[in-house]
Amino acid sequence: MTGLLHERELSRKTFLKGGALVLGFTLGGGLAGRAAAAYQPPLGDYGPDVAELDTWFAVGQDGSVTLYTGVVELGTGSVTGLMQIAAEELDVPFGAMKVVTPDTLRTPDQFVSSGSRAISQHGPPIRQAAAEARQFLVNLAAGKLGVPASQLTVSDGVVSGGGKSISYGELIGGRLFNARITGTAKPKTPDKYRIVGTSVPRVDFPSIAAGTHQYIQNFRLPGMVYGRIIRPPSQGASLVKVNGFKQHVTGVVKVVRKHDWLGVVAESDWEAIVAARALDATWSDWSGLPPEGNLHAVMRTLPLYDAAANPLDLRVGAQYKNPNPNVWQNTGNADAAIAAAPKKLSVTYTTPFLAHGSIGPSAAVAVWQGDRCTVWTSTQTPYGTREAIAKFWGVPNNNVRLISAQGSGTYGQNGSDDAALDATIMARELDRPVRVQWMRWDEHTWENYKSARVYDLSGALDANGKIVAWKSESWGFTNYGRPEYHEPAHGGEPGSLFVAQLAGWTGASVEEGGGPQSAPPFPIPNVWAKHNFLGAPSQRKGALRIKSGSMRNPTGFYDTYANESFIDELAALAGIDALQFRLNHLTSPRAITALQTVAQAAKWDFRPGPNPNRGKGPILRGRGVTVQGNIAEVFEVEVSTKTGKVFVPRVTVAADHGLVVNPNALTSQIEGAVTFGLSNGLYEQVRFDRQKVTSRDWVTYPIMRYKDSPPVIDTVLINRPDQPSTGGGEPPHQPVLAGLANAIFDATGVRMRDLPFTPKKVLAALRSAGY
Amino acid sequence: MASKLKIKVNGLVHSVTASLDTPLLYVLHNELHLHGPRFGCGLAQCGACSVLLDGKEIRSCVTPVAAVSGKAITTLEGLPALWAKERGTSGASPVLHPIQQAWIDQQVAQCGYCQNGMMIQATDLLTATKDPTEDQIRTALNGHLCRCGTYVRITKAIRQAAAVMAKGGK
Repeated sequence: MTGLLHERELSRKTFLKGGALVLGFTLGGGLAGRAAAAYQPPLGDYGPDVAELDTWFAVGQDGSVTLYTGVVELGTGSVTGLMQIAAEELDVPFGAMKVVTPDTLRTPDQFVSSGSRAISQHGPPIRQAAAEARQFLVNLAAGKLGVPASQLTVSDGVVSGGGKSISYGELIGGRLFNARITGTAKPKTPDKYRIVGTSVPRVDFPSIAAGTHQYIQNFRLPGMVYGRIIRPPSQGASLVKVNGFKQHVTGVVKVVRKHDWLGVVAESDWEAIVAARALDATWSDWSGLPPEGNLHAVMRTLPLYDAAANPLDLRVGAQYKNPNPNVWQNTGNADAAIAAAPKKLSVTYTTPFLAHGSIGPSAAVAVWQGDRCTVWTSTQTPYGTREAIAKFWGVPNNNVRLISAQGSGTYGQNGSDDAALDATIMARELDRPVRVQWMRWDEHTWENYKSARVYDLSGALDANGKIVAWKSESWGFTNYGRPEYHEPAHGGEPGSLFVAQLAGWTGASVEEGGGPQSAPPFPIPNVWAKHNFLGAPSQRKGALRIKSGSMRNPTGFYDTYANESFIDELAALAGIDALQFRLNHLTSPRAITALQTVAQAAKWDFRPGPNPNRGKGPILRGRGVTVQGNIAEVFEVEVSTKTGKVFVPRVTVAADHGLVVNPNALTSQIEGAVTFGLSNGLYEQVRFDRQKVTSRDWVTYPIMRYKDSPPVIDTVLINRPDQPSTGGGEPPHQPVLAGLANAIFDATGVRMRDLPFTPKKVLAALRSAGY
Repeated sequence: MASKLKIKVNGLVHSVTASLDTPLLYVLHNELHLHGPRFGCGLAQCGACSVLLDGKEIRSCVTPVAAVSGKAITTLEGLPALWAKERGTSGASPVLHPIQQAWIDQQVAQCGYCQNGMMIQATDLLTATKDPTEDQIRTALNGHLCRCGTYVRITKAIRQAAAVMAKGGK
């Protein structure tokens, strides 16, 4: 139960002599093999044929079933959930399941393991494939047993009927299905579920608890050497000259330079670190960043992204083809309605760049054999990144084999993809595998930050306290900072990787980031909403040299912060309880149920905000509510009038995620999302000076610590087996920032509109309000 | 300059070759192939690399290997044997330490990357404080960062482990 690969079975000789490398990651079930050990599924440009049953499943002679999935285990438990879905449809015990996670040579292309898609979008094809496999096996058994398929039942991997039985292992163990997915098999109805809907323990936890789990950061190959990268000292600096080492160094295998990309490879990790530190290089001066305090003012003045000037860049949905000018909603006449309304409000919300902040800095391992390369990486986008690497090196897709290895949590587009390219650049110069490990400051200063945003919101109420008009204008950079491709077109583009840019690549990039993700959660008669898309900056090019990419979700949680804060402000303006105000407007039955459920669970006291009994301190108490999609959250806060510190003693969540596959794993995701969001809201901001990002570590980029974390997070799952599953990683994070701001308002009467809500900012606001 | 050193890890003495200033983490990781302690920051800020040195939690990423000679290092992989010794049973007991078992029972981890340090620090805590209050737990582990947001479950797991250990593992 190690999740280990065959490293001990592999000599360096097998590496360098060529042939297909058979190293893959399995989770929890030991080594998993194809039914026929030597079987290599035929490959298209994007992996094995997804219409073949053998692409998805292999049955062992012992009755074990291996699921081959294109979904990456990111630490969310999704792969355990997918194994539950497969076991359920196949009618095998969960313990019979094994899994092979993405390997472009062996697993189906399941697009990206991002966007909360792992269960919601990638579960259904696995469910269908498993139902097909079951149907195939029952038909096979019917022939062998001489009993009509209609009289056969399956239990624990054994087909029985007419007094006879035969196991899956006996039917097909060690052999191929050689069958197409027909689309005719009918998956079970949810009332028959026995495995889906239960809290099966995660398959990767035994090895995590024992300390034997294989992360990319400790993945090792025979003969492997160790790489460190040396990034430019400013966002825009170019490498003028490499001068050699400032001091005596040992173990250096090679200094590798490619345009502005610089790295060093050594025989040991420590020698690589020492050498990278000692390597003296001359870089050009650059200081093109705006003063930090002017960021949001500067964003309003930056040129809008010009799609026509970058025809290859945008490959995503229609709304992004022409992202500017992007008036994404225009209903009724918002200006006239605001002018005529008795009560109105105009405010601005601003948000900072945020770092993903993976605890383990990105790492990757690569080895070349001639013009073929194998890369081990914790990317969320195996096929997109594989294609980008292939394009970068000018080789066919299938010359690059990408194998997914579990890494530290990514929370979106962290440095994993760039580190993968780093590894291929170093390994290209050597006949040995290289593990590249970013240092803490490499991750913090050169990742795809969540884009800062500016929101101008105006709204108006009628005499009954209903919102009659809503105006929204926002500014932001791209949401995508990596070469994933977008369905249906493939097209991983190296230009999305700053490592490729450093290494001289000047081609296109895949970008997205036009419109906001979340509109007001209910219909309003007069709405005008515009987004100003500022394009795709990176450390190497663009209007602002701070690279952005999706974190936790593309724009949704910042959009929801602005929208749900503003709704709360309108509720206060109307003098109506904040939760009741939302009930007065919502039309979605599921959202209403979530809100009513959270009101009950949190023992919500219906009264207008702010808290009339808040007193004068030293601790002010209040509560705030938000609802986004079908998730409602209530935050209780304590605000110190002495320090400005905000503490959240209790959070209550009511969450409707449709069909719940694994309640405990989902609850864990919700707890994590809430804690992560509170960390974003209270502490986090990527700092920079005129040259570079200055948030280099956990002192200069603090995140939530244990003592400051909420001691109680109560979650109520509203299970709806008749509805498709929705994602667990993104949606519960989305409401948090507004819930926090709304609770601070309730506690203090002060509205915080500029994230993060640091003690300094809160204290200043309290002082201005007379505390 | 590389030197030959002897270090005692999880009850066994190992001969390793490394320069004296090499952080212990890299020796454990690359020479002894121990995967419990992990690289997180190299700055003693996050705790992913924690090990026990004579029973007390230290950060292996900033501890030179030369500084641990003559002392006993325990990594996450060594906790089962540590527990077996405490109970007076054989050192090769396959049973997980109650802390590790509690981590599984409470399904604490998400990505799991930081959890090594959490479990090591919890072991240190429960050695000195058999029945810690919630406040003691939150204070003792405050120097360990989790980005996934598992703190609420860690509290539950440590309470479970404390209860199990109080009964001698029964």
